[in-house]
Amino acid sequence: MQREIKNEWIYQQSPKEVWDYLTQPELLALWLMPNNFMPIAGHEFQFQTKPIPSLDLDGIFHCRLLEIVPFQKLTYSWKGGSGNGVFTLDTVVAWTLEKHGKGTKLILKHSGFKEANLSIFMGMTDGWQSNIQKMISHLNATRDGSINA
Amino acid sequence: MAVSTLDAFQVIADPSRRQMMQLLSKKSMTINALTENFEMSRPAVSKHVKIMCRAGFISITDIGRERYCTLKQDGFNELQDFIDYFDNFWAGKLKKLESILNHKAKSK
Repeated sequence: MQREIKNEWIYQQSPKEVWDYLTQPELLALWLMPNNFMPIAGHEFQFQTKPIPSLDLDGIFHCRLLEIVPFQKLTYSWKGGSGNGVFTLDTVVAWTLEKHGKGTKLILKHSGFKEANLSIFMGMTDGWQSNIQKMISHLNATRDGSINA
Repeated sequence: MAVSTLDAFQVIADPSRRQMMQLLSKKSMTINALTENFEMSRPAVSKHVKIMCRAGFISITDIGRERYCTLKQDGFNELQDFIDYFDNFWAGKLKKLESILNHKAKSK
């Protein structure tokens, strides 16, 4: 039961202009967060904001640039935790830019949200058997995935 | 009676414990109140409670002469909290980007 966030926004500016705001650290900082982003695949960087105690996050998002297709696509990992080296948030942020008339349609997909620990399964009061089945198939899929990788 | 430390899988593998957690997901209960729902002795229920407590699924609070068991909700809500938070977060940021881009266009 992975869940994801999808958000679309139309901007009047061209994909090139919007792209600059996604990939130039000082422009990115204007609307998102202070960062040390570099548009190089594999580069590791951080976004920094205030701690978010309600989510037990220390306010530093650890990212790694996974994919970059100029003016079209940008994907990075997005991890966070309380600062003890364990990432309770281990997700992926993907940006897609499409021409929309004279402007740009920007699509954000934030995915990979999953059960941080087994106790989340306990939140479901019904359908135990099916939940455990799902957990088993999820574990199997993870195992198969790591074999293929 | 010795209480063994079980891992999370072993804890939820037991049907009685799953049923106890389902009851506790609705409200906190005393061990006596829990016992009324089962055909087992109070010490037997108490042993299950200790196992669940030790594995971090529930907490126990002594109030007067009663022991209250409460399901630890933190872990259960974590996933939805993350999703809700970032859904709002991104919507706010994308809107901010729009106002910055438009402001820039005007000042040209």
